[in-house]
Amino acid sequence: MQFTVDTPSEGIAVLRFTGRLNMVTAPRLREAVGTSVTAGRTRVVVDLSGVEFIDSSGLGALINGLKTARQAGGDLRIAAPNEQVRLVLQLTNMERVFTAYASADTAFDV
Amino acid sequence: MSEHSKPEATRHTLLLQAPPDNVDAVHALLETVWAHDVLVSAADRVRFETALIELASNVLQHTDTGSGVTCYLWVEISAEQIVATLRDSGAKGVAELPDSGMPDELAEGGRGLPLIHALVDELDYQRDGDMNEWRIVRRLSA
Repeated sequence: MQFTVDTPSEGIAVLRFTGRLNMVTAPRLREAVGTSVTAGRTRVVVDLSGVEFIDSSGLGALINGLKTARQAGGDLRIAAPNEQVRLVLQLTNMERVFTAYASADTAFDV
Repeated sequence: MSEHSKPEATRHTLLLQAPPDNVDAVHALLETVWAHDVLVSAADRVRFETALIELASNVLQHTDTGSGVTCYLWVEISAEQIVATLRDSGAKGVAELPDSGMPDELAEGGRGLPLIHALVDELDYQRDGDMNEWRIVRRLSA
């Protein structure tokens, strides 16, 4: 799994991941969110358009990131999940926690 | 296995030794399975694959006592169902299998087994000698 970080405006970080978000790669997501929040970018968008698969480890990393961002006064939002990611969110009742935005650009539209 | 004309179940196998192997080897096996068994619907594929990856992750995370885990995995597809059997050399399975439901919303773990229950029709575990044997079954949609 690879990821890139964009900072489209002050306080916002867009993390774009590609590949599988599973027990192997979930720690990288945790670290990436932590790094962004520490740098003051507490509104974090995780762009999932390139993520082909997520498991409960990946979901746990997203929840960890959400808590990290909120503790710093920010938030974490997800964008563009595929069908498999939506299925996992639905079956774990996490759709209520993670509103899926159509694209990263709209996740923190104000 | 296929000496008769009746369309019997097809079987795919994998030997996984972790470390260095990890769940990516299971994904790779399933890519082969789906390429071979093209009639399994996308909905069944995604549910079975998600369940099997959860199961394999659970085994690799929780049964390794420090000397690694060897897993034998076989996936069998018939017209009615798809079955995965995973035997591992790890410690006795620590997880009891009744579905205990999803944890609190902001819990970071504890969703693996409930998720498997939600994705397949059967989830079984037994201790067989010094091996664990896990089995998941998803009945295929028409």
